[in-house]
Amino acid sequence: MKNVLAMILAGGRVDELDVLTFLRPKSVLPFGGLYRIIDFPMSNLMNSGIERVGILSQYRPFYLINHVANGQPWDMVGRNRFAVILPPFKGREASDWYKGTADAVYQNIDFIRMYNPDLVLILSGDHIYKMDYQDVISFHLEKKADLTIAFTPMPQEGSHRFGQGLMEGQDARGGRLVQYAEKPKKRLFDWASLTIYVFNATVLLEALGENAGEDSHEFGKDIIPSLLGNSRIYGYKHCGYWGYTRTLEEYWKTSMDLLGEQARIDLRSWQIRTNLAHKEIRDRQPTIIGPSSVVKDSLLYTGCHIMGRVSRSLLFPGVTVEEGAAVEDSILFFDTKVARGARVRRTITDIDVVIGQSATVGDSEGELSVIGTGSSLPEEVVVHSGVTIYPNVPTDRFTRTEYKTGDVIK
Amino acid sequence: MRKVVALLLAGGVGSRLNVLVQYRAKPAVPFGGIYRIIDFTLSNIANCGLTRVAVLTQYKPLSLMDHIGDGSAWDLAGRTRGITILPPKTGEKDWDWYKGTADAVRQNLGFVSSGPYTEVLILSGDHIYCMDYGPLVQFHRANRALVTIGMIPVPWEETRHFGTGTMDGEKRIVDWEEKSKKARSNLASMGIYVFDRDYLVATLGETKEEDFGSQIIPRALKGVKVYGFPFEGYWRDAGTIDAYWDASMDLLRPGSGLTPEACGIRTNLSAHQLPYDRPPASITGSAHVANSAISPGCVVSGGAENSILSPGVVIERGAFVRDSIIMHDSLVGRGSRIERCIIDKEVTIREDSLIGQGDPKTPNSRFPDHVYSGLTLIGKRAVIPPHAKIGTNCIVYPDVSESDFPSNDLNDGQTVEK
Repeated sequence: MKNVLAMILAGGRVDELDVLTFLRPKSVLPFGGLYRIIDFPMSNLMNSGIERVGILSQYRPFYLINHVANGQPWDMVGRNRFAVILPPFKGREASDWYKGTADAVYQNIDFIRMYNPDLVLILSGDHIYKMDYQDVISFHLEKKADLTIAFTPMPQEGSHRFGQGLMEGQDARGGRLVQYAEKPKKRLFDWASLTIYVFNATVLLEALGENAGEDSHEFGKDIIPSLLGNSRIYGYKHCGYWGYTRTLEEYWKTSMDLLGEQARIDLRSWQIRTNLAHKEIRDRQPTIIGPSSVVKDSLLYTGCHIMGRVSRSLLFPGVTVEEGAAVEDSILFFDTKVARGARVRRTITDIDVVIGQSATVGDSEGELSVIGTGSSLPEEVVVHSGVTIYPNVPTDRFTRTEYKTGDVIK
Repeated sequence: MRKVVALLLAGGVGSRLNVLVQYRAKPAVPFGGIYRIIDFTLSNIANCGLTRVAVLTQYKPLSLMDHIGDGSAWDLAGRTRGITILPPKTGEKDWDWYKGTADAVRQNLGFVSSGPYTEVLILSGDHIYCMDYGPLVQFHRANRALVTIGMIPVPWEETRHFGTGTMDGEKRIVDWEEKSKKARSNLASMGIYVFDRDYLVATLGETKEEDFGSQIIPRALKGVKVYGFPFEGYWRDAGTIDAYWDASMDLLRPGSGLTPEACGIRTNLSAHQLPYDRPPASITGSAHVANSAISPGCVVSGGAENSILSPGVVIERGAFVRDSIIMHDSLVGRGSRIERCIIDKEVTIREDSLIGQGDPKTPNSRFPDHVYSGLTLIGKRAVIPPHAKIGTNCIVYPDVSESDFPSNDLNDGQTVEK
């Protein structure tokens, strides 16, 4: 068994997710009625038996530190097991914030050296998927590769957002990477990089050292092209589910893949774990569904009180849906309250949002509406699709009775 | 409260709970979807700031010990706080089983004397209630009492299950009866006692009496001032199948007073069964759910009304569950219909069964005192064959398999054993 050290790049804030990442890094964005996005790579690591993990974080790291705790939720506490957060630090040469993915790892080169791994597995903290990393690792070892990159079939849209690769050979699992382009304007190749890298540690350290003197420090843009041609780089084809969460629409679509009797994301078999010690999760009672409520095609965790109608939606702990209220195609984070007679459609509400009596949010079509943490909508207000409401907006900030697509309420 | 040491008596068999206590002590019986009965007392202890607690176990303690763990679920683990399990141990004889509540405490007087405590709070792990013990202890101290008993009014028809007492204007107990068929008062003992530590140590040293309710309390009444602390809040003894079912259903009755989350009742999230370590419950498109409690990991594709579902319960399409309690990971198969049942963990009900309908006037022939009100019990891991018809007041023992059924029909009041 090779000595593997995992590094998760979990620091970023993602602009496209708008108000949902105003106050938290993307990796701790709630997902799936209970989880945080980083639970997916963390649980995959646990289920792959890789139990030494460094997590690189720089944006509002408190939430991540609080969530990862000491790694205990993923059983990563022990003499040879750990999960540690690696925030940026001020070094001898006035080192500052991480200047890119490769720089983030380079700044923690001492951490890697300390554990002296054979292989470094680099992951990002913002995808929804199940993968046994041991499969990629055995492929990597079998091919005597210096670097193996995991790829997935290119999505229909947005190919310009991905690293694109061309592999050769007959092996169904993958092949030698012959061409690679980082986020080209056009679709060049059929495989999109998952930003999952298995590096031989010596190759990684050398490449990072060489890159340190350059102006740009990204794995996709700088490190891979510099290694291509003179190192053995392989592509590994991941054919299972892969969920993006980079934009609101993607996040919503990926979430909806949890619903239905044949859900594409099967949480039961994926064995995803989260930190149950959060105050928003522990100490709740079972969810109560009232005598006249109708709940269809939805996921819900503990502590919800549902007296109204809920369909095709995800309810995090502590959500209240009062009598006569209706929630459709929506994602309601912890402790959202939908008051009597209100209607919520195609909307994502962050923690502690209140939708006032008989208010309407979202439409059955069009862009999603999104409401930031702690905001309260007044009674009877009408908020159409594609409206953005910032965190902590009180009811008296709503001066109009109706808001249309594109409106932003601060 | 740091001068008070709490002893939680959790050793009782609770035999009236029948198949539910076949594998576990009564305090470890699951309750309200995600809890066990003892969670209520443990949470009350933690919420009122008690930091030194012992749990006296005896009967089938495995589930209980696993559940309590190191006490950290109730914040009872730390440098100045702790929870200690006290099983019976070798004494003067090779093995001294606890012979009663007072005897259990007597065998652990060493623990009671091991710290600078002034009072001993004796609690039972059998009740469903939310209570701040702070006012009780203050009341005890203000009266300079040597013994104070928590008292609550109960319906007259239930007085025969309890110790009952009469208090004078100063809340002093002047009359006492233990489980009397014709009680003179409906003010019942909650099984909660505050004792002056030194008085308790001295009294248990003087006598060999084994029970608090029938012996130690009457003895105290003759000699010293015993006070009653009237409690006005939600309190239920879930010691019979009927009472257990009724208290469970309070979770679904608005205004019943049973609100575990609001009064800070917690369970152990990381115990063996991992009640929370499951995905969110899935209510599918074909489901119909009304007035029910749903726990993580449930998959409901059929119907559920007035029912309490523990984690991992699966109700398949076309199945229907009404007025029932279904514990962890049990499955109700396609087309089956369940009414007024208590179904223990990991039970499999195969397709198209009909369970719980019948004439409630026929009590269970084997246990007419346990099962008589039109409820049917199904023990842990039992498997019910397809197309079975099981009446009411029936008992299916744990681990019963399809081949143990004499026929597909089980009449009202019948029992199937392994």
